[in-house]
Amino acid sequence: MVKKKKTKHVLRPWCWYCERDFEDEKVLMQHQKAKHFKCGHCPRKLNTAGGLAVHIQQVHKLDPEPIENALQGRNGYDIEIFGMEGIPAADVATYKRKKELELGLPVGYFGNKAGEQNKPTTKRNYENRVYTFEELRGMLETHRQLMGREDDKMDTTADASGPVLHAAPQTYVLPTGLPGLPPPIPPVGVPGIPPLSMTGPPGVPPVPVLPFPPSLPGMPPFPPGPAPPGMPPFPPAPGMMPPPGFAGLPPPEALGGPPPGGPSITPAPPRKDPGPWLSKPPSNTTPQSVPSSPMKRMVLASKTPSGPFDPVAAGLKENTVLQWTDMDFSPLERRAEDPKYSQFDASEDIEMNEAGGRSARSRAKARDFLD
Amino acid sequence: MSFFGSGAAASATEPKDAELVDPPSDSISSLAFSPAQQSDYLAVGSWDNNVRIYEINNQGQSQGKAAYQHDAPVLDVCWNKDGSKLFSGSVDKAAKMFDLGTGQSVQVGVHDAPIRCVRWVEAPTGGILATGSWDKTVKYWDLRSPNPIATVTMPERVYAMDIQYPLLVVGTAERHIPIINLNNPTTIFKNLTSPLKWQTRVVACFPNASGFAVGSIEGRVAIQYVEDKDASSNFSFKCHRQEQNGAKDQQAVYAVNAITFHQGYGTFSTAGADGTINFWDKDSKTRLKTFPKQAGPITATAFSKTGTIFAYAISYDWSKGYTGMVPTLPNKVMLHAVKDDDIKKKTKR
Repeated sequence: MVKKKKTKHVLRPWCWYCERDFEDEKVLMQHQKAKHFKCGHCPRKLNTAGGLAVHIQQVHKLDPEPIENALQGRNGYDIEIFGMEGIPAADVATYKRKKELELGLPVGYFGNKAGEQNKPTTKRNYENRVYTFEELRGMLETHRQLMGREDDKMDTTADASGPVLHAAPQTYVLPTGLPGLPPPIPPVGVPGIPPLSMTGPPGVPPVPVLPFPPSLPGMPPFPPGPAPPGMPPFPPAPGMMPPPGFAGLPPPEALGGPPPGGPSITPAPPRKDPGPWLSKPPSNTTPQSVPSSPMKRMVLASKTPSGPFDPVAAGLKENTVLQWTDMDFSPLERRAEDPKYSQFDASEDIEMNEAGGRSARSRAKARDFLD
Repeated sequence: MSFFGSGAAASATEPKDAELVDPPSDSISSLAFSPAQQSDYLAVGSWDNNVRIYEINNQGQSQGKAAYQHDAPVLDVCWNKDGSKLFSGSVDKAAKMFDLGTGQSVQVGVHDAPIRCVRWVEAPTGGILATGSWDKTVKYWDLRSPNPIATVTMPERVYAMDIQYPLLVVGTAERHIPIINLNNPTTIFKNLTSPLKWQTRVVACFPNASGFAVGSIEGRVAIQYVEDKDASSNFSFKCHRQEQNGAKDQQAVYAVNAITFHQGYGTFSTAGADGTINFWDKDSKTRLKTFPKQAGPITATAFSKTGTIFAYAISYDWSKGYTGMVPTLPNKVMLHAVKDDDIKKKTKR
């Protein structure tokens, strides 16, 4: 067992104060208590440096002395260490590199975390501060030039990409080299998202500070949280046009169920939206009340896909996959309107019978069954 | 949130469930055992337009006895009190009565849309038939008149209905649950919104008529009491969910297709589109038994009059639409000999 371990090196828990490593974190904590967090004035052992400092101050009314047995520069009380927790990332990286050197291992053997630490923390190439208007203007200019150039190359690909990416090229399709013009509206397409995947020159932010609320053209068409039942799930933000996919959404009742008010449901406005749901009979009218046409209408409805229904947005827990997602009709209704089962109706037209014939199976008659 | 402990899994020594002979040629929509004393008759309604009646003996052997036909798929079947007559509701918008004595079937009711549910009401003043339809009405028929005795307008299409005199519970689209007190059958006693957030699939009354169970398409069952004073006993629980593609964090949620109460013990079964069946005890909130997963969805369940036979139908429930209708899916009715310990309430220790 021990020999095997030698072939594969694992980073063991180690003490930040003296850089000794231990079998496991429990032993490490015992070590820290005994060696570093021991009070010099009484037999008491504390769990953390902070605890020790408070103890010395309050119990012994003394100024805490530097932590015992600690390496140079690590004997202060400002860093709260508990086992392996609280060790500054930089020190972790240094320790890892030291260990790698010691054991003759390639750099980055103990996970590339150390490498990551050396890189700038994120790919953000702008500072997190409020920019002045002049700065913003300059950034926008450089950014626009960059985008304009990129745009020539990847016009089509960008168009085919998803809605979030879509917003950027549209906004940025501007002829390059119009420096005299005042920048129109700052591109608001992708607040917070780095401009596509291109690495812009340093100092070009995707406009982190905006003079007006973003209109969020690339926002996913669903509200972020689950829509609580009974609440109007999609109150469009003031001045916000519904994104193109919005019309295809199921109506609010379909998502959150009816408002708890009771049976009197008024038709929801989204039903009037143009979209695939238009072809569906509103659930308020009795689908079969008209004798001849209803089956046809229902069949029509069944042909339309059930739309971009998102059960998660409607309150289902994430990672659960609902097996029946048609909120307006039960499986039995859908089945009954299938041509295979609905051809009994004399008023069915020819097209229906054709469809029925396609899927018809030979049915056992009662006579056959009784034989 | 899991109220129910895991029940004992089906042991290997258990005798295999018997298969009903000559099952329908298409999906089974409904099952009902006759309350008749002399013999166990099982009525089976099917999407192949037929209603079949089988006689089942004590060994679980079955034999076709009679059959009659609708013009369209049969959605529900029920018996009258003494088991001499069988009723069925169909997509052809008609309710039919089959007389076991004469072997004749007659139409006894009609709706403007397919009849989803039929239930026999054994009122002190005489028996009537209640039918619930997608035309948003429940109608009562006295079997002699071509017109209904009364029509009650529902808030939405009727998806499920159950009766335990004097309690009539209807589950409709848009999650309404109208409750009717059959002492005053023409008015809705109370109009509840389903305690579940998703489309109602099935309702079933407690044998003591104090409340009912609701099953939704989102793998959940709610236990609901009618009287407000019992509201604190209401609860719901999850069931009929499966890990998807073997991934632990992905859960497929199936519809609860059937809930049937055991008339003797007040315990009940749930069956789902996932092909599993469970026996539960609502009072101790425990699962009494799990069945092994079947090859197809369970579309209907029924207990025999004594509760010793449990019939369940394995057939396609349209949960994946037209494309899910593959010929490899089984289409059969299984008969399970119920062990008393599996369905009896566990005594508290």
